[in-house]
Amino acid sequence: MSPSVLICDDSNMARKQVLRILPEQWKTSVQTASNGAEALTILRDNNIEVLFLDLTMPGIDGIGVLQGIQKLKLNCSVFVISADIQPAMQAKVKALGAKEFMRKPVNADILLNHLQQHGLL
Amino acid sequence: MSEFHLTEDQQDCLQELINIAMGQASDQLARYLDTFVYLKVPSIESVDAKGLIQTLSQQQNTMAVVSQGFFGYEGIRGEALLSYQEEDSGRIADLLGYEPDELSQDEQLMDISSILTTTFLNVFARQIDNQMSYNAPKLLPMVQNSLLDHLQQMTFNWDVALKININYQVTDYSFNCDMILLIPETAILNIKNVLDRILADL
Repeated sequence: MSPSVLICDDSNMARKQVLRILPEQWKTSVQTASNGAEALTILRDNNIEVLFLDLTMPGIDGIGVLQGIQKLKLNCSVFVISADIQPAMQAKVKALGAKEFMRKPVNADILLNHLQQHGLL
Repeated sequence: MSEFHLTEDQQDCLQELINIAMGQASDQLARYLDTFVYLKVPSIESVDAKGLIQTLSQQQNTMAVVSQGFFGYEGIRGEALLSYQEEDSGRIADLLGYEPDELSQDEQLMDISSILTTTFLNVFARQIDNQMSYNAPKLLPMVQNSLLDHLQQMTFNWDVALKININYQVTDYSFNCDMILLIPETAILNIKNVLDRILADL
């Protein structure tokens, strides 16, 4: 059974980079969002189990999405993939419930490793 | 559509490469100043050189500008302009924890500019399998037309440029710095080729 997945990033290229790493059988159940507001709508209306989330986005950013997830009390494993690698930012997303922080450009081995560690693979 | 215009995919790809470079430059700045830098989405636009030079020159009497040329393989080159509002450049000594007289304000501006420019461009270059070389950075005197003269004296001719604007904002000191990269038209064509290569590999 493959989990329902959402990839949220304002860059089409970044979304593709994540998608191509995911296991083949997951790819049928992947949705995408290009900003935080879109992501929150999809999260609210669907039972998303795994979210890959960018931080720096126009409008509602990744931090806003993490706060929204807490507010809506959604049970979703969030993996942040961002270019904002400042240690303070990494700590902040972890405090807001993100399972892991990954730096861009995303690395396939690291991503798959994290999914395994969190029992998703 | 002019040949210097980026397609939607090229623009998206370039923006992502810039995001990554900006993130690492911000991280360096944050470590150097022991603070946090707030990242905004950078802007990329095509500009007409004449109009741009006029706009920048009008703003310039209120800011300090450090300019540094860069060039890599495959004809990728441009000019990086770091601009600081006057009230911010006065605050740099506090941020850096320097004693008065330890290092002149000009030297401090050069220090910060060099960290931002070289980190940004080295990370950018690495992502496109390139390597940048740099001209010596130059602090432009805060007088009318010094930026205008400087831009007109640049070693490349250009009517159209790609203008990339990145804002670095230090949250706890309300310190602001703008990085403007100007890529002249011949280099735009070379960058477009590089972007197409990356996109084809996706």
